[in-house]
Amino acid sequence: MVFGKTKLELKVGVFVIVGLAILVTFILSIGKFKTWTAGYKVGFIFNFSNGVKVGAPVRFAGMDVGEVKHISISMPKETGENAKVKVLCWVKKKVAIPVDSTIWVNTLGLLGEKYIEIMPGHDYQHCLVANQTLEGVDPLAMHEVVRTAKNIVDNLDQGIERINKGEGTIGKLLYDDSVYNELDAFMKDIRKNPWKLFFRAKEKK
Amino acid sequence: MIEINELYKSFNSHQVLSGLNLKIQKGSTCVIIGRSGCGKSVLLKHIVGILKPDSGSVFVDGKDVTHLNDKDLNSLRLRISIVFQGGALFDSLSVADNVGFGLIEHQHISRKELLERVKESLALVDLKGVEDMMPSSLSGGMKKRVSLARAICIKPDLILYDEPTTGVDPITADSINELIKSLHDKLKVTAVVVTHDMKSAYRVADRIAMMYQGKIIAEGNSQEIQQTQDPVVHQFINGLSQGPITESLG
Amino acid sequence: MINDFLSNIGRRTLSFLYFAGGLASLSGQAIYLTFVPPFHKGRFLEQVKKAGCDSLPIVSLVALFIGFIFALQTAYFMQRIGSEMYIASLVALSIVRELGPVITALVVAGRVGASITAELGSMQVTEQIDALETLASNPIKYLVVPRFLALSIVLPLLTLYADIIGILGSYIICVFKLGISSSLYLHVTFDALLYKDLFTGLFKTIFFGMLIAFISCYEGFNVEGGAEGVGQATTRSVVFTFIMIIAADCFFTAIFYFIFP
Repeated sequence: MVFGKTKLELKVGVFVIVGLAILVTFILSIGKFKTWTAGYKVGFIFNFSNGVKVGAPVRFAGMDVGEVKHISISMPKETGENAKVKVLCWVKKKVAIPVDSTIWVNTLGLLGEKYIEIMPGHDYQHCLVANQTLEGVDPLAMHEVVRTAKNIVDNLDQGIERINKGEGTIGKLLYDDSVYNELDAFMKDIRKNPWKLFFRAKEKK
Repeated sequence: MIEINELYKSFNSHQVLSGLNLKIQKGSTCVIIGRSGCGKSVLLKHIVGILKPDSGSVFVDGKDVTHLNDKDLNSLRLRISIVFQGGALFDSLSVADNVGFGLIEHQHISRKELLERVKESLALVDLKGVEDMMPSSLSGGMKKRVSLARAICIKPDLILYDEPTTGVDPITADSINELIKSLHDKLKVTAVVVTHDMKSAYRVADRIAMMYQGKIIAEGNSQEIQQTQDPVVHQFINGLSQGPITESLG
Repeated sequence: MINDFLSNIGRRTLSFLYFAGGLASLSGQAIYLTFVPPFHKGRFLEQVKKAGCDSLPIVSLVALFIGFIFALQTAYFMQRIGSEMYIASLVALSIVRELGPVITALVVAGRVGASITAELGSMQVTEQIDALETLASNPIKYLVVPRFLALSIVLPLLTLYADIIGILGSYIICVFKLGISSSLYLHVTFDALLYKDLFTGLFKTIFFGMLIAFISCYEGFNVEGGAEGVGQATTRSVVFTFIMIIAADCFFTAIFYFIFP
């Protein structure tokens, strides 16, 4: 070791430096824009947040522009008011959100990841500034979808029941034999006397 | 210089040392003889404090080795060298690093000075130009000599030899004996040689001690030992297969 | 009969306790001596080279194949449900959180741990360890500390290499075989990863490194009975290190699962 030290230090140096470079690459890639882009924070208020999580993306006109930083709930002080969820988001500086934008919690893809969707409005004279808040639109919660669907299915059920009983036009058409019998007789008559197709009944004359 | 009192040591209920007493004068060469596996190497390891006895004491230069703290023990060890049976050279280090090990680790001296000391030590054991070789490329005899060089490089007051002539050819053995004698004469070190090679023992010894069943059973100079009346010693030094040693085992 | 059985259990328990005690005492001394001067930069660097630089090729190779295999196995299922896009996330998460650290630790345990036990074992057999002591160098300070330090630093570094190369392996399969676009692949990969995934993965490898160093040094120091003893000790050290790495991984994964949900 004292005698005959080779390129040991160089090798170890390269090994460590490349290792640290990989670490830095990972850190920067995971952090993405969060670490070095300037941005500002805005709050969105929802009645129902549909399980959006800290770190969920914020999309403006369908593009990732930021992420959810903090979620808090404020309980109502008076009766008759709803509990509100305040979602604090970090948004890139160059993105200006008009105050008439529509904001809701949306669901992404197969895994059902939740994110904040911002459909930009038109009023670019008045945009959100840092730490300002905006009311969001409530997402259509699953139980509401189910309730609506149930109403539709219930109505359909009743209709089908009536059809089964032979009530109404469709019911009669399907379950009443008289139409079939008359049609059958008519066909037989026509086959026997095809001329009837070309001549009108005499009694009209 | 060395005083061993009532030393007991056992490994896994096998009694190796049972009440051993021995005194070695400063500047003398004491040879300890005995059968293989009778605990001679164990005795050496007690002298440097690698092994701790079950009971008894070992005084080296008036200090009780068995009760020293690490720091004092280390400073004592820097004045003691052991030449191990197989050389015990560090195979990851070159010959020069091996020989200079004690100096590199414990003394702050310049590289140039270090190289000089290493060369000087190697010259004392009649080796030249092997500094950059690795121990694995040395012959058995050369390893023993390098090991000797390592022992003398730290300029110790006491050298312990563990079977220095075992496993080498008679000519090398003789030159090693010669070395031990000349080191003793030149450097005035105290030496303890453990061996079962009687020829070597007679060559180097001022005094000979016979170890048997964990005790020193006879002690004296070469002549006294040769003219002994003790049947055990008599059997051993004459290398007889019939006698009290083999009978007691049988 | 019963007596034999009971005394057998007793003997095994005692020998295990003896082993655990010895290992703990060795670890304690090594950690203590790490902070006691003198510090030996040269020996530490040499161990970093032996454990790190020299393990890099085999770790990279294994990581690359793991990347290939994992991408293909994930693709088998993901193609059925039509979401090949998420192969990247799954592979990245599995490799960074679990496979990278554990595979690296196992490879290093097999390669470096075994060589440490064999080296220290033959040093013990040829009295080199005694020689160290008589030359007033503490064998733990001289032999264990540099290995322990080197391994606990090298293992996280090697894991980083394994992570990136594993992801590269899966990238090759996904981009060149499954036709996923390169930029989409990278995007999805790093989108799925969080800091905690990376750092919990790296954190546990420090302990894996210590485990490898302490177990293999302990086994090496306690070799008895010549060359055969060295062989047995090496086997024991590798087997025990493997078991301990998996057990420790299970432990850490559980801990992290509850600390960082």
